[in-house]
Amino acid sequence: MNGWTLAATVGLAGGLGTALWGVATGPLRRRVVAQNLSTALACPSLLLLSQAYNRPSYVDLGLVLALLGPVGTLVFARLLADELAEDPPRTWAATWAVAGLGAAAVIALCVATGPGRAMVKLLVIGALLIIGNIVASRALSGGFRGVRGG
Amino acid sequence: MADAVIVVALLLVVAAATAAVTTRDPVRQALVLAVLGVVLAVLFTVLQAPDVGLSQLAVGSALTPLLLMLTVRKVRRRGRGKERER
Repeated sequence: MNGWTLAATVGLAGGLGTALWGVATGPLRRRVVAQNLSTALACPSLLLLSQAYNRPSYVDLGLVLALLGPVGTLVFARLLADELAEDPPRTWAATWAVAGLGAAAVIALCVATGPGRAMVKLLVIGALLIIGNIVASRALSGGFRGVRGG
Repeated sequence: MADAVIVVALLLVVAAATAAVTTRDPVRQALVLAVLGVVLAVLFTVLQAPDVGLSQLAVGSALTPLLLMLTVRKVRRRGRGKERER
Protein backbone atom coordinates (compact mmCIF):
# COMPACT_ATOMS: atom_id res chain seq x y z
CA MET A 1 0.00 0.00 0.00
CA ASN A 2 1.54 3.31 -1.04
CA GLY A 3 0.77 6.84 0.05
CA TRP A 4 -1.68 7.49 -2.82
CA THR A 5 -3.81 4.48 -1.87
CA LEU A 6 -3.73 5.59 1.76
CA ALA A 7 -4.81 9.13 0.83
CA ALA A 8 -7.62 7.79 -1.37
CA THR A 9 -8.79 5.40 1.37
CA VAL A 10 -8.83 8.15 4.00
CA GLY A 11 -10.64 10.47 1.58
CA LEU A 12 -13.24 7.83 0.76
CA ALA A 13 -13.84 6.73 4.35
CA GLY A 14 -13.89 10.21 5.85
CA GLY A 15 -15.41 12.23 3.02
CA LEU A 16 -17.96 9.86 1.54
CA GLY A 17 -18.80 8.48 5.00
CA THR A 18 -19.66 11.97 6.21
CA ALA A 19 -21.59 12.76 3.03
CA LEU A 20 -23.53 9.51 3.39
CA TRP A 21 -24.45 10.31 6.97
CA GLY A 22 -25.51 13.81 5.92
CA VAL A 23 -27.67 12.54 3.07
CA ALA A 24 -29.38 9.85 5.14
CA THR A 25 -30.40 12.01 8.12
CA GLY A 26 -31.58 15.51 8.87
CA PRO A 27 -33.68 18.08 7.01
CA LEU A 28 -33.95 18.26 3.22
CA ARG A 29 -31.65 21.28 2.90
CA ARG A 30 -28.77 19.37 4.53
CA ARG A 31 -29.42 16.32 2.37
CA VAL A 32 -29.09 18.19 -0.93
CA VAL A 33 -25.84 19.81 0.23
CA ALA A 34 -24.45 16.42 1.27
CA GLN A 35 -25.42 14.94 -2.12
CA ASN A 36 -23.59 17.77 -3.87
CA LEU A 37 -20.48 17.33 -1.74
CA SER A 38 -20.43 13.53 -2.18
CA THR A 39 -19.61 13.91 -5.89
CA ALA A 40 -17.05 16.63 -5.15
CA LEU A 41 -15.35 14.35 -2.61
CA ALA A 42 -15.44 11.18 -4.73
CA CYS A 43 -13.75 12.86 -7.71
CA PRO A 44 -10.37 13.62 -6.00
CA SER A 45 -10.40 10.10 -4.51
CA LEU A 46 -10.82 8.60 -7.98
CA LEU A 47 -7.93 10.71 -9.27
CA LEU A 48 -5.76 9.57 -6.34
CA LEU A 49 -6.71 5.94 -7.06
CA SER A 50 -5.66 6.31 -10.70
CA GLN A 51 -2.25 7.47 -9.49
CA ALA A 52 -2.15 4.68 -6.88
CA TYR A 53 -2.81 1.96 -9.47
CA ASN A 54 -0.42 3.71 -11.88
CA ARG A 55 -3.06 3.67 -14.64
CA PRO A 56 -3.51 7.10 -16.26
CA SER A 57 -6.64 5.95 -18.12
CA TYR A 58 -8.54 5.76 -14.80
CA VAL A 59 -8.44 9.59 -14.78
CA ASP A 60 -11.40 9.46 -17.19
CA LEU A 61 -13.62 8.38 -14.29
CA GLY A 62 -12.75 11.58 -12.44
CA LEU A 63 -13.44 13.61 -15.59
CA VAL A 64 -16.89 12.05 -16.07
CA LEU A 65 -17.74 12.54 -12.39
CA ALA A 66 -16.59 16.17 -12.45
CA LEU A 67 -18.90 16.74 -15.44
CA LEU A 68 -21.94 14.72 -14.34
CA GLY A 69 -21.93 15.34 -10.58
CA PRO A 70 -22.99 19.00 -10.80
CA VAL A 71 -25.56 18.02 -13.46
CA GLY A 72 -27.17 15.62 -10.98
CA THR A 73 -27.22 18.30 -8.30
CA LEU A 74 -28.75 20.81 -10.73
CA VAL A 75 -31.54 18.29 -11.38
CA PHE A 76 -32.36 18.33 -7.67
CA ALA A 77 -31.98 22.11 -7.44
CA ARG A 78 -34.41 22.54 -10.33
CA LEU A 79 -37.05 20.02 -9.28
CA LEU A 80 -36.91 20.80 -5.54
CA ALA A 81 -36.86 24.59 -6.06
CA ASP A 82 -40.15 25.15 -4.21
CA GLU A 83 -39.16 23.14 -1.12
CA LEU A 84 -35.69 24.69 -1.00
CA ALA A 85 -37.00 28.24 -1.43
CA GLU A 86 -38.88 27.97 1.90
CA ASP A 87 -35.77 26.76 3.73
CA PRO A 88 -32.66 27.71 1.71
CA PRO A 89 -29.51 25.67 2.44
CA ARG A 90 -26.35 27.36 3.68
CA THR A 91 -23.62 25.84 1.58
CA TRP A 92 -20.63 28.13 1.38
CA ALA A 93 -18.34 26.92 4.18
CA ALA A 94 -18.65 23.25 3.18
CA THR A 95 -18.34 24.07 -0.53
CA TRP A 96 -15.09 26.00 -0.14
CA ALA A 97 -13.63 23.38 2.20
CA VAL A 98 -14.30 20.60 -0.31
CA ALA A 99 -13.08 22.75 -3.22
CA GLY A 100 -9.84 23.32 -1.28
CA LEU A 101 -9.43 19.58 -0.71
CA GLY A 102 -9.99 18.89 -4.41
CA ALA A 103 -7.49 21.59 -5.39
CA ALA A 104 -4.89 20.18 -2.96
CA ALA A 105 -5.32 16.66 -4.39
CA VAL A 106 -5.06 17.92 -7.99
CA ILE A 107 -1.92 19.97 -7.22
CA ALA A 108 -0.25 17.01 -5.50
CA LEU A 109 -1.06 14.80 -8.51
CA CYS A 110 0.26 17.44 -10.91
CA VAL A 111 3.55 17.55 -9.00
CA ALA A 112 3.73 13.75 -9.18
CA THR A 113 2.98 13.50 -12.92
CA GLY A 114 5.23 16.36 -14.03
CA PRO A 115 4.59 18.64 -17.01
CA GLY A 116 2.87 17.26 -20.09
CA ARG A 117 -0.54 16.37 -21.48
CA ALA A 118 -1.49 14.34 -18.40
CA MET A 119 -0.95 17.38 -16.20
CA VAL A 120 -3.10 19.57 -18.46
CA LYS A 121 -5.86 16.97 -18.25
CA LEU A 122 -5.62 16.92 -14.45
CA LEU A 123 -5.79 20.72 -14.29
CA VAL A 124 -8.86 20.72 -16.57
CA ILE A 125 -10.55 18.15 -14.32
CA GLY A 126 -9.73 20.21 -11.22
CA ALA A 127 -11.11 23.39 -12.78
CA LEU A 128 -14.29 21.59 -13.93
CA LEU A 129 -14.72 20.09 -10.46
CA ILE A 130 -14.42 23.38 -8.59
CA ILE A 131 -16.47 25.44 -11.06
CA GLY A 132 -19.22 22.80 -11.24
CA ASN A 133 -19.30 22.53 -7.46
CA ILE A 134 -19.64 26.29 -7.00
CA VAL A 135 -22.34 26.58 -9.66
CA ALA A 136 -24.29 23.70 -8.09
CA SER A 137 -24.00 25.22 -4.60
CA ARG A 138 -25.18 28.58 -5.88
CA ALA A 139 -28.16 26.92 -7.57
CA LEU A 140 -29.03 25.05 -4.35
CA SER A 141 -28.95 28.18 -2.21
CA GLY A 142 -31.26 29.94 -4.67
CA GLY A 143 -28.75 32.02 -6.60
CA PHE A 144 -30.53 31.51 -9.93
CA ARG A 145 -34.07 32.55 -9.02
CA GLY A 146 -34.61 33.91 -12.52
CA VAL A 147 -34.80 30.45 -14.11
CA ARG A 148 -37.50 29.04 -11.84
CA GLY A 149 -40.95 27.91 -12.93
CA GLY A 150 -42.17 25.56 -15.66
CA MET B 1 -3.08 -3.87 3.27
CA ALA B 2 -4.09 -2.94 -0.29
CA ASP B 3 -7.46 -4.56 0.42
CA ALA B 4 -8.32 -1.76 2.88
CA VAL B 5 -9.67 0.46 0.11
CA ILE B 6 -11.87 -2.40 -1.17
CA VAL B 7 -13.20 -2.98 2.34
CA VAL B 8 -13.94 0.75 2.75
CA ALA B 9 -15.76 0.87 -0.60
CA LEU B 10 -17.79 -2.26 0.26
CA LEU B 11 -18.77 -0.84 3.66
CA LEU B 12 -19.83 2.44 2.02
CA VAL B 13 -21.99 0.55 -0.52
CA VAL B 14 -23.62 -1.47 2.28
CA ALA B 15 -24.33 1.68 4.32
CA ALA B 16 -25.66 3.63 1.31
CA ALA B 17 -27.91 0.77 0.15
CA THR B 18 -29.31 0.28 3.66
CA ALA B 19 -29.95 4.02 3.97
CA ALA B 20 -31.72 4.02 0.58
CA VAL B 21 -33.99 1.18 1.70
CA THR B 22 -34.84 2.64 5.11
CA THR B 23 -35.66 6.13 3.74
CA ARG B 24 -39.42 6.40 3.21
CA ASP B 25 -39.92 9.67 1.31
CA PRO B 26 -39.26 9.15 -2.45
CA VAL B 27 -37.56 12.55 -2.84
CA ARG B 28 -35.05 11.84 -0.08
CA GLN B 29 -34.64 8.31 -1.42
CA ALA B 30 -33.61 9.78 -4.79
CA LEU B 31 -30.90 11.80 -3.01
CA VAL B 32 -29.56 8.69 -1.25
CA LEU B 33 -29.72 6.77 -4.55
CA ALA B 34 -27.55 9.41 -6.24
CA VAL B 35 -24.89 8.93 -3.55
CA LEU B 36 -25.26 5.15 -3.88
CA GLY B 37 -24.53 5.45 -7.61
CA VAL B 38 -21.28 7.32 -6.94
CA VAL B 39 -20.21 4.88 -4.22
CA LEU B 40 -20.92 1.90 -6.51
CA ALA B 41 -18.77 3.49 -9.23
CA VAL B 42 -15.93 3.81 -6.70
CA LEU B 43 -16.37 0.13 -5.75
CA PHE B 44 -16.17 -0.94 -9.40
CA THR B 45 -13.02 1.16 -9.80
CA VAL B 46 -11.22 -0.36 -6.83
CA LEU B 47 -12.20 -3.81 -8.15
CA GLN B 48 -10.35 -2.84 -11.39
CA ALA B 49 -13.45 -2.51 -13.57
CA PRO B 50 -13.33 1.17 -14.60
CA ASP B 51 -15.46 0.61 -17.73
CA VAL B 52 -18.35 -0.62 -15.58
CA GLY B 53 -17.67 2.27 -13.23
CA LEU B 54 -17.98 4.78 -16.08
CA SER B 55 -21.41 3.57 -17.15
CA GLN B 56 -22.49 3.34 -13.51
CA LEU B 57 -21.45 6.96 -12.99
CA ALA B 58 -23.42 8.13 -16.02
CA VAL B 59 -26.54 6.20 -15.03
CA GLY B 60 -26.36 6.43 -11.25
CA SER B 61 -25.33 10.02 -10.60
CA ALA B 62 -27.56 11.85 -13.07
CA LEU B 63 -30.04 9.66 -14.95
CA THR B 64 -31.70 7.65 -12.16
CA PRO B 65 -32.31 10.71 -9.92
CA LEU B 66 -33.70 12.64 -12.90
CA LEU B 67 -36.18 9.87 -13.78
CA LEU B 68 -37.22 9.44 -10.14
CA MET B 69 -37.71 13.15 -9.55
CA LEU B 70 -39.71 13.59 -12.77
CA THR B 71 -41.93 10.66 -11.75
CA VAL B 72 -42.52 12.07 -8.25
CA ARG B 73 -43.38 15.44 -9.73
CA LYS B 74 -45.87 13.97 -12.19
CA VAL B 75 -47.56 11.80 -9.55
CA ARG B 76 -47.90 14.76 -7.18
CA ARG B 77 -49.38 16.97 -9.88
CA ARG B 78 -51.91 14.30 -10.82
CA GLY B 79 -52.88 13.92 -7.14
CA ARG B 80 -53.39 17.66 -6.82
CA GLY B 81 -55.49 17.74 -10.02
CA LYS B 82 -57.80 14.99 -8.71
CA GLU B 83 -58.29 16.80 -5.41
CA ARG B 84 -59.29 19.91 -7.32
CA GLU B 85 -61.89 17.92 -9.32
CA ARG B 86 -63.59 16.82 -6.11
